Amino acid sequence: MTHNNSLWVETRDLQPKLKQPLQGILNLLLVTALFLLVWWVFMDPRGIVRWYTPQYGYMYIRWILIAAIWQVYIFNYWPFKDSFLNNKHPLVKGLILIGCNIGIVAFMVWIFCYAFLGNLSIPYLNPKVLTNLGMTEFFAREYSSLAILMMAAIASWLSPVWPVCFENHPWQDLKQPARGFTVWAWTFFLTILAFLILMHPHYHVLFYPWQEYAAAYPWWYEFARTLSGNFNVGWVMCGTVSIWFLELVFDRYPIRLIKKQPLRGIIGFLFVFAMAWLFFFTFLFFQDVSWGPAVEGAKRLFAPDWRHLHCGELACMMLIPMMTLHFYFDNWPKKYSPSINIAIRCVIIFLATGILHYLYYKYSPPILGTQPGYSHPQQFPMAPVILWINMMLYHYWFMDMYPGKKLATRTEYLPASNIVTEKAY
Amino acid sequence: MSDISRRDFLKGLAVGGTVGYFAMAGVSSTVMRNSFIPPAKIGTADIGECKSLKIKVITETSWFNNAILMDDMKKAGGLLVNQYEIPWTNKGVTEGWKGDNAGGYATLVEVEFLDGSTKNILLDTGWNVDWTDTCFKREGIDKMLANGEIDCLFVSHEHFDHFWGIEATLKYRPDIPILVPKGFYQEGFDLLKGAKFPKCHLANNCPHTGPLEIKESGKVHQLYPGVASITFDVPIITRVFGEQALVFNLKDKGLAIVTGCCHMGIISLMEHVKQTIKGGDNFYAIQGGLHISPFEDWDPQYDDLVLALHNYGLKTMGCNHCTGYVTAEKFVTVGLPVVRGTAQHKSKRDIFLGNGDTIII
Repeated sequence: MTHNNSLWVETRDLQPKLKQPLQGILNLLLVTALFLLVWWVFMDPRGIVRWYTPQYGYMYIRWILIAAIWQVYIFNYWPFKDSFLNNKHPLVKGLILIGCNIGIVAFMVWIFCYAFLGNLSIPYLNPKVLTNLGMTEFFAREYSSLAILMMAAIASWLSPVWPVCFENHPWQDLKQPARGFTVWAWTFFLTILAFLILMHPHYHVLFYPWQEYAAAYPWWYEFARTLSGNFNVGWVMCGTVSIWFLELVFDRYPIRLIKKQPLRGIIGFLFVFAMAWLFFFTFLFFQDVSWGPAVEGAKRLFAPDWRHLHCGELACMMLIPMMTLHFYFDNWPKKYSPSINIAIRCVIIFLATGILHYLYYKYSPPILGTQPGYSHPQQFPMAPVILWINMMLYHYWFMDMYPGKKLATRTEYLPASNIVTEKAY
Repeated sequence: MSDISRRDFLKGLAVGGTVGYFAMAGVSSTVMRNSFIPPAKIGTADIGECKSLKIKVITETSWFNNAILMDDMKKAGGLLVNQYEIPWTNKGVTEGWKGDNAGGYATLVEVEFLDGSTKNILLDTGWNVDWTDTCFKREGIDKMLANGEIDCLFVSHEHFDHFWGIEATLKYRPDIPILVPKGFYQEGFDLLKGAKFPKCHLANNCPHTGPLEIKESGKVHQLYPGVASITFDVPIITRVFGEQALVFNLKDKGLAIVTGCCHMGIISLMEHVKQTIKGGDNFYAIQGGLHISPFEDWDPQYDDLVLALHNYGLKTMGCNHCTGYVTAEKFVTVGLPVVRGTAQHKSKRDIFLGNGDTIII
């Protein structure tokens, strides 16, 4: 494989086949068309498979994202070698890597969650166990899907922290697959721990009678004004988006200026954590201004738990312009100082998110088969948004942006920290 | 790559941290909130007063087997699939009505005004026409309809169990004035005109010939003295949109709210009433479906409602139907004034008002 602590995806050289912005626009249109097709086939309530029930399909969408993150950021494409990554046609390579991605999702959902944990530890991780306990099949599947998708959501926040902030410290010198499995095991351990603290108490009150012997009472009730785990879903999603902000918009600046580990990792994590809460509070405030304060016990627009969830939804929408700018428009601009570059990108992303938010709620009913209105208890804008992101990641990570770009012949690998030249400020 | 000094880094961290703190704490601080968030409105719409209400539950059993209903939705693709495209089970259901899983929701609301006169409002019209008709006959609704004693059909929303039994009403009085909320789909209007939907086993053989009024959202619609309706733009499962509820201002008592399913949420509804109707902070009673655990499902958000409902000072709660038995048990446990029923005519439990039960407010 490549240099021990550099990712293949960061060191590859993609050459545009067309000039910008035409190349970016055409590639973006292509991936968007692919997203709409996949949504219609698998998710759309008017489509063929109709998995957006909603939680069941949403669960798979979530796991596709974290599986792709693991493949690229944790395992650096292992077991595939550089010769495969450099020489295979992007479509063939893409199909094989996507196949692996789906395989990982199937393993994690069907084997790890359903068969292993669901049968041997926590019943709500296996819908059949819940059904056998007397629950209707539909809600058994919805409840277990929610729990399983939340595991993926927390993982998509915590897993990238290790390669991005800690540079895989202290395992940076291990070779693949040892490093991949070690970092995966560590971050997944943290994920399970976070799940038990952030989501398991949700299930204390989800079942009747309350499961007070099996799970803690939701400890966030007093300050979140809701017993629902949506409080944690909201800020965890802001955390997931924040790590992407650090990676794609900030180019890891200013964290990359810290040379020592684990100091860099700790400060990087705190940076991400603080940014997450900044987004969370800001989005809560926007909602209060737009609709008035939330009311305890209310439903829909005024439900505190929905307001928290919508913070995560709003944060998630930022990923679309963020990835569009980074993947399809070469992370413009790059010519100024890091601070100015970041500031300009942030302005673009915030404005584009506002436009996307408006367009989503106006046009998603005819296009995606969703229902009009902001707050719907069985509708999660994060599902189509993350599926769209998944398609972008497939395109960018697995298919070398084919057909808009092509992989140049590479002669050497550079350490990740050398990719962006620094200036002292 | 040039390095950065520790001093510069710490300086940057301090500046960034301070800006970040004010960005985070600032936007959510009390000062900012008070500056940007408008104070809650106090209701000014004067709807007058009425004397009393007599509410007869005609049918609140919308379906007879919950697992079969959920399985129908699961097979069709979940909770967002268009209700007109779901092949609902209508045969072989042991506990159903003649094998059909469909039942329905319908309630008769009799309003007594201050001068002693009365008006009758039929709230919703069931799902299964045969079941609804049987219930109508049991409670004498058929004769009231035929004699013109019912003043209007108030359709809370377009859901199958509240609206699809329209033929049961129209066969006795095809020209009855009908009030529907904004948000009805074309299929709903077509059904009123006599359309058939074979896929979901739905038909109306008695086209509507009377006035049809679509109640806009965002307004208080006064129907009679002391009686108003409010429509909410609310998306609902199985692609339904919009729901309306009735508000009564009872002299010397306070406000009574009567709902079909209350998908907008009872607390959201009461908060809206507070901000729109004069005297809207004095709630006396609620009656009808509260749509909390209709499928005996649960969400911690519903516990939020159970715990917060105490704040509204309700003296009586005639909840039933999609309120759900689990919710009713929780209401009783926390001491809310739930009115018990008699569990007759296929209502399964007496924990809330059931088929044939009456409440006088």
